[in-house]
Amino acid sequence: MTLQILLAISAILFAFGLAAALSRSNAIMIVIGIELMLGAANLNFIAFWRFSENPSDLAGILFVIFSIGVAAAEAAVGLAIIILVHRRIRSVEVDDASNLKG
Amino acid sequence: MISSLESAPIDVLHWFLGLLGSFGVPAWILAIISALIIIGTIIGVFLSLFALTSVMERKILARVQNRYGPNRAGPFGLFQPIADGIKMITKEDLVPRTADWIVHFLAPVVMMVPALLVLAIIPYGRDMVPAELDAGILYFFAVGAGTEVAVFMAGWGSNNKYSVLGAMRAIAQMISYELPLVISAIVTAMISGSLSPSAIVSAQGGFAFGFVPQWFALTPWGFTAGLIFYICALAESNRSPFDLPEGESELVAGHLTEYSGFKYATFFMAEYVGMFAICGMFVTLFLGGWQAPLPFLDIIPSWCWFLGKVCFVAFTMIWVRATLPRLRIDHLLAFAWKFLLPMSFAAFLSAACWHYAGRGPLAWILSLAIVGIPYLLLGNAFTNRFSVSRRTYLFSE
Amino acid sequence: MVTDFLKTCCADPMKLIGEWFVILPALVLLLAAAAAVVMRNLIHAALLLTLSFIALGIVFIALGAEFVGFVQLLVYVGAVAMVIVFSILLTKPDQLTKSRNLLSGFAPAAGVAVAFTALAALLGFIFSSPLAKKPMPAPASAPVAAIGEALMGDYVIALIVLGILLTAALVGAAVIAMEDKP
Repeated sequence: MTLQILLAISAILFAFGLAAALSRSNAIMIVIGIELMLGAANLNFIAFWRFSENPSDLAGILFVIFSIGVAAAEAAVGLAIIILVHRRIRSVEVDDASNLKG
Repeated sequence: MISSLESAPIDVLHWFLGLLGSFGVPAWILAIISALIIIGTIIGVFLSLFALTSVMERKILARVQNRYGPNRAGPFGLFQPIADGIKMITKEDLVPRTADWIVHFLAPVVMMVPALLVLAIIPYGRDMVPAELDAGILYFFAVGAGTEVAVFMAGWGSNNKYSVLGAMRAIAQMISYELPLVISAIVTAMISGSLSPSAIVSAQGGFAFGFVPQWFALTPWGFTAGLIFYICALAESNRSPFDLPEGESELVAGHLTEYSGFKYATFFMAEYVGMFAICGMFVTLFLGGWQAPLPFLDIIPSWCWFLGKVCFVAFTMIWVRATLPRLRIDHLLAFAWKFLLPMSFAAFLSAACWHYAGRGPLAWILSLAIVGIPYLLLGNAFTNRFSVSRRTYLFSE
Repeated sequence: MVTDFLKTCCADPMKLIGEWFVILPALVLLLAAAAAVVMRNLIHAALLLTLSFIALGIVFIALGAEFVGFVQLLVYVGAVAMVIVFSILLTKPDQLTKSRNLLSGFAPAAGVAVAFTALAALLGFIFSSPLAKKPMPAPASAPVAAIGEALMGDYVIALIVLGILLTAALVGAAVIAMEDKP
């Protein structure tokens, strides 16, 4: 197995996430898409750490740990916002949240 | 072939593998056979423990409530599990017409898998860890997280309002109690300097003054963390007094409402195996794992001590179930977030002070103070908040 | 002892099962992610997302990053997936299927087109890069103790900042979602 395969897997995963985040109108689906993209990025870090010359340098691993922590914070705040929006406009479709549109 | 009772299970396994090896079986097949034997033994032991507990629990509950309990099937009702099993398997397997059948079908499977997987890292005796993992504790909690998914799948897949309500309660409860559970477990990892369960057990070896075991439960911070872990273990395995996800009086059976026959039995089994796993973890982390409580009791093999301790902890859980009434959902969540979580942080701090104060008398005073003061403050605040007015019974005299 | 015996046999799971230990979970990951993206039913999408998180965790473990794999399972399956599911349940489960789907209308189709252009570009770079043709080096592992030393040593400031971020996110999420007092 070469690094290419892992990178290709991660690129495909990223594209799926991007498609979900850009084209689905449900806010929760957008969060799901963002989580997939973050997962793809993490997979890249682990793949490069695995193929590095010096695996005792743990920068790749540590970056993933921090990235997982940030993703958890992002999911919590994002979903709290979605629940608040749902309480205000009774919908989780991003198209409906258009109060500020000119 | 058997050098001592202590290593008997391992010796038998090695003798059997050696026998196979002498017939010219290649090494990789031996490895697979060895793994299969270990897995089979563990699952067999825990499933028979489950069968025994399912009848013992009813006997103990009956004893507490001053009645007989099951006593028809076999001597003392001991064959009750067999009768129950036959009843469960022969029952009709109902799937509601509006149910999401694939999620409904997968939920028991998803429930069973983590319950069995977590058994892999528990040290059952001296040198008897099925999978020696560097990050064993983390593995335990990571795999255990699968249970929440299963509960949600069961609740939502049934398409029943009681099921969904029960599942939502269960998830809220599990997420809330997961935090103090993990933090109180991490405290022991911090003191023993490792996330591997066997290293934590060996850190609890030895005796102070020659007879007091150095278990973590016998230190101020360890006692606090252990108590928190025990309470959270009750909540995580959905046992009374935290069993309101399946509280019969309000929600029929919560997420299990629409399950019958073998699927229900699978849930039941997974819950009990999960309970034993978390009891095993409690024993490993706080009660010294397979270590004997007194030096001269070392002659009894370590795996007997482990099993004995696990059975004792499981017995206390049944005892708690017989004694305490069910909590209300808001009290339950408030208890987790406002009392258990700060207390687990206090235990964390106390353990750090214990370590840096040299683990001597000064450490005892310091860590007792750090645990005791928050306990008094929080406990006071809680009793004021939920003060119970004295009940007067008009017509009962 | 038993563990030693197992260790010698399974010291290197990659050798035992080969590359399939990585490829199979990766395939599950991609299939589950694709299904999650196109699924109309939100709950099914969330459950498939959970499956893809599990598969990703297994890929991490197979690549030798055990610790990260377990953290991935604990945080994503135990927390993030459950929070997503919970918020789906809190926001009207009966309107689940009303949502706009992929490729229905101009804007979503444009989104998918952008995603696939990005994918084509990424794949082009990946397969033309000389770096990517490197063969796999000897199995690596990241011992927990070393990760702990690094977190408490060189990366301690990042760790503290992450702690502050998580606390702020927790308090912020609670405040945002709190019911307005009438």
